[in-house]
Amino acid sequence: MKHLLYLMSIVFVLLTTNSWAQISETANLSGQVTADDGEPLVGVSVVVLKAGIGTYTDVDGFYKLTNIPTGIYSVQFSYVGFTTQTVIVELQSGEALTKAIVLTEDVTQIDEVTVKGLSKVQKVKQEPYSVKAISAETYYNLSTDVQSILGRVEGVNIREEGGLGSDSQFSLFGFSGNQIKFFIDGIPMDNYGSSLGLNTIPVTSIERIEVYNGVVPVYLGTDALGGAVNIITKQNSNFLDAAYSFGSFNTHRAAVNGAYTNSETGFTVRGNFNFNYSDNDYEVLADITDVNGNIEDTRWVERFHDTYKSGMAKVEVGVVDKSYADQLLIGITAAKDENDVQTGATMETVYGGIEQNSESVISTLKYRKSGLFTEHLDASFYAAYNATRTHNLDTLTGVRYNWLGTPINTGSTEGEQGNRNDETLTDNEFNTQLNLGYQISESHTLAFNHALQYFHREIDDVLNPDKPENQFPKSYYKNNLGVSYTFSPNKKWNATLFGKGYFLNVETSKQYDFGTPNVRIDSYKNSKNAFGYGLATTYFLLENLQLKASYEHTYRMPAPEEIFGDNLFVTANPELGPEQSDNFNFNAKWDFEPAENHNVQLEGSFIYRNASDLIYQRVTVANPQTSFANLAEVRTLGYAGTLNYKFKDWLRLGGNITYQDITDQADFVYNDYAGQQTNFQKGFRIPNTPYLFGNVNAGVDFKDVVIKQSHLSVNYFFNYINEYFLSWAEYGSEDSKKIIPEQSSHDLAVSYSLKDGKYNFTLECKNLTDQMLFDQYKLQKPGRAFYLKFRYAL
Amino acid sequence: MKISRKISAWSLGLMAAVSMMSCSSDDDSNDSGSSVTEKPFALSLAIQGSEGGFTYYTVPFEDVMEGTLSASGQGIEQPGYYDFTKVDNTVYSIGGLDNTDVSAITQNADQTLSTEGNVSLNESILDLVKADDETLISVSLPSTVGGVVTFRLFDANTVSITETVELPSSDLHSATDAVPAYSGLRVVGNHVFLSYYMSNPTTWATEYTDQAQVAVYSYPELEFIKVITDDRVGPIGGFNIKSGLEVDEAGNIYAISHSNPANGFSQSTKPAGILKINAGETEFDQEYFFDVEAAADGHNISHLKYIGNGKAFVEVNTAARSEQGTWSDSPLRSAVVDLNNFTVNYIDGVPVHNGDGRRLAALYNNGYVYLCIPEESSIHVYRMDTTNYTSTKGAQIQANFVAGFFKF
Repeated sequence: MKHLLYLMSIVFVLLTTNSWAQISETANLSGQVTADDGEPLVGVSVVVLKAGIGTYTDVDGFYKLTNIPTGIYSVQFSYVGFTTQTVIVELQSGEALTKAIVLTEDVTQIDEVTVKGLSKVQKVKQEPYSVKAISAETYYNLSTDVQSILGRVEGVNIREEGGLGSDSQFSLFGFSGNQIKFFIDGIPMDNYGSSLGLNTIPVTSIERIEVYNGVVPVYLGTDALGGAVNIITKQNSNFLDAAYSFGSFNTHRAAVNGAYTNSETGFTVRGNFNFNYSDNDYEVLADITDVNGNIEDTRWVERFHDTYKSGMAKVEVGVVDKSYADQLLIGITAAKDENDVQTGATMETVYGGIEQNSESVISTLKYRKSGLFTEHLDASFYAAYNATRTHNLDTLTGVRYNWLGTPINTGSTEGEQGNRNDETLTDNEFNTQLNLGYQISESHTLAFNHALQYFHREIDDVLNPDKPENQFPKSYYKNNLGVSYTFSPNKKWNATLFGKGYFLNVETSKQYDFGTPNVRIDSYKNSKNAFGYGLATTYFLLENLQLKASYEHTYRMPAPEEIFGDNLFVTANPELGPEQSDNFNFNAKWDFEPAENHNVQLEGSFIYRNASDLIYQRVTVANPQTSFANLAEVRTLGYAGTLNYKFKDWLRLGGNITYQDITDQADFVYNDYAGQQTNFQKGFRIPNTPYLFGNVNAGVDFKDVVIKQSHLSVNYFFNYINEYFLSWAEYGSEDSKKIIPEQSSHDLAVSYSLKDGKYNFTLECKNLTDQMLFDQYKLQKPGRAFYLKFRYAL
Repeated sequence: MKISRKISAWSLGLMAAVSMMSCSSDDDSNDSGSSVTEKPFALSLAIQGSEGGFTYYTVPFEDVMEGTLSASGQGIEQPGYYDFTKVDNTVYSIGGLDNTDVSAITQNADQTLSTEGNVSLNESILDLVKADDETLISVSLPSTVGGVVTFRLFDANTVSITETVELPSSDLHSATDAVPAYSGLRVVGNHVFLSYYMSNPTTWATEYTDQAQVAVYSYPELEFIKVITDDRVGPIGGFNIKSGLEVDEAGNIYAISHSNPANGFSQSTKPAGILKINAGETEFDQEYFFDVEAAADGHNISHLKYIGNGKAFVEVNTAARSEQGTWSDSPLRSAVVDLNNFTVNYIDGVPVHNGDGRRLAALYNNGYVYLCIPEESSIHVYRMDTTNYTSTKGAQIQANFVAGFFKF
């Protein structure tokens, strides 16, 4: 909304010709904006029409505009939910005019998300949950995606296996995989194909990202063990944003996003389209093997089988602002990607023929209404049906590749990863989310959530049609219920108490007595229930000093493949229960101005996680068969700090640092030949996980550089990860330990915008110092790369 | 840790001084042993993380009979899956995280270990054995029907592959629903002997259990000669334990058959027993048969390690085939067998224990076999006297299993 107002003001300015008075004589305008009940309003847009100067009110409702050319102006004060007010002011040279404004609530226009006059990002941040809300706006001109923005959030570590489109793992204070749940506009992304991964979502299509750490509000009905990420797409009624970037490694990324809303009929249509392509032929330092497999050389070579291509189209149509619905949208998304796979888990394994492709079609229905039946009831309902087909292809036989891309002929009849396969996984998933909020009185609110997930998978391998594990489709039903009660007696304090129920039903048929003459096939069902609870509270010690504490006893239900196994080497475990964790967060946030024009924001977090019954595959040494079991126990103590500094509106500095001490707490390990054995790693930090990392960003913005209404901004990002061990820290001699070395990378971007952001050009250099960067089992990531981006925004 | 490093640094200085004073360079610098604690033993300790991954640490030890043996702060670290075998005075590690590398682990003058290796393969190596004084040979078998048997020759000094030879696996068996699974490899004179059993590549069911088979190749040409069979017993060897074939001082080969469910057989149709291929010959000796079941109260030998003078250290599975847990490699009892007199003598004091389902990590030295035995809550070294059949319980092992037990 802020963005739209900004654009509107720019458009207005553009339409007004000859608006530029002499700059030599200026004046200041300031004051406070309050609601008609005397509450100061935060985030009110104040625009001096014609002059093209604007600002927003601060936490106390104050605004201040300086260096306004003298003259007579219309000043517009607007905020969603309130009637826009325009006042005429006459500014004389050197004058400091004060103007107090009272805005009246516009009852026809109240929007559930803007209750108390905070920007959405500010409002999310003030929730009692430990949540980071990241506005995407700063990144719109950069050649980046959702994944890289997330990677700069405290506590978050993203581990990429390579360049654009490569597999990646998101981790939040050590939790990763399906312990963290992802949503796009509140709809779970659990089983979206790789074509709708985090690194394919263009930044220009989103408004903000919310990262819930450990404690997840009930409205995101899910069984997340370590937190949740909700990606909010742009909600503007009318906009158009088209961007194209290209750069190193033949990388091309294009995105067009837009919305049109007819304010009279309420008809709205929204669309997102994007395309990503990269050869990913960046250089890596690799061992070159000869025909016999001897390493004859270690040198820099280009990756040769790593092309990535993806495309996505999403269209939504519907109505807004109707008596029966604030929003009613139906949508369809189609996405496809093609991915060449270059390496195995380590760089020692090189592939030249393996491909992974996926296609997804998602249909959605979204409904939202505030004041349904009674003015105290807010309702929203989402339903999504997605069909995803993933195709894994490993059919190249008789040839092995080395890092020079040289095919070496062998007599092997196997694929590069083992048995040849040409396998298609067909997933069908149906999700619904119902959220109801009921305001009992000013200080008591109830919320209810029901989420349903139905998942069905079939696997077809044309080369191995009789593979036992592919004979049995798997179905999975999961119901989550959540209830929360919020008590907010005053502006200083509020608390939310919540309970969640998780109900899981799984169904398949399976093979019994494998490996014996009595082998038979029978149906197999299983169900699991669990109940979690939590509390989140926040207290404003001072108006600008907020304290938060939250706790959740949370569960993650086992995934279908964890319960069922694959019917062959991974056997079903009917006893398999959910993973559980006790998550505590303590946060403090302080905003202050040490001097005029200097704004400082300081935030500190302490987190504690005690996760048990973690699901791992049982280790078998003698037996090729295994199953999943609730085995491990891990404790995390985490500390994170964020500091942001702003000088006027042209200089920004910020940074965060995360320290996480994640230790193994299991008393026993299990394996097939000895059963329960002493866990010799107890108390030691878990391996191959960064424990100290941080980010720094700096930005400067200059207005009217060379040309009027232009902006020049320079953004710098620094990322640091301390060295860590690939395996357990305690054992082995120092010189033989496998270490992922300390890594620091620098990104620099220079953007130049014309016509107040309508035309934007950005030159960006990633990994400026050409550092060797690694993730996972020491997989090398791209070196220095350059990107040029053009963006047109209306 | 710190102290020992200081000592070794100091001893290196001393060694330098000694060698500068004495000009005789062909004098083996073993005289520095007086200042360095000798650590002749090396154990490859496997430590399991609660997330399921293993890391291997090959650690030198002075004494294996006292105290605890731990990799804390010492040993060569190797994450992934590794197999260890010793040829002459070098330990070879075979394995990796997802590729296969082959490294030589040798002992330094300061009694530390160092590792060297230059091979990275996209395929697993099932075993690495001595072919001649300069050469090692490895074998890989296909997991799909119609694949190839791959032999690789290694230069024993540089640990690099000098030759790769691929031969059709159809030489070994005509089955179209099964692939050969590795069980033993030995080179005697100018022949390579490869034992195997047939296993379904998808279900791992073993439907061909009516005879023993050993493939014979020429060495060093590595040309297929023939498959020798014998229907007195079932197939030779079993899943992953790599002890199907053993050779004595004279070059006689002993081939062990058990068809144990505990070692990967889904069925058995023949009795267990040990066959012999006489030195210089390429046929089973029809006169020789060690009826293991008769000598060991109806039980079978799964692991066998030749120790000399016609005797071998064995692990006897004390459960009848019908009672064994599939792929359990258990329950085992340690014994010494006489391959000529067909006797089985159990070692006193060693508890019935579980096997590791992999190559037996046993050391034979000066009349004693050293083996790590898992018990209720801990693993201990047992030193077994192979003449009196007695045992002594030794150091406790700080690891989840022991993948190699060596002496330099």
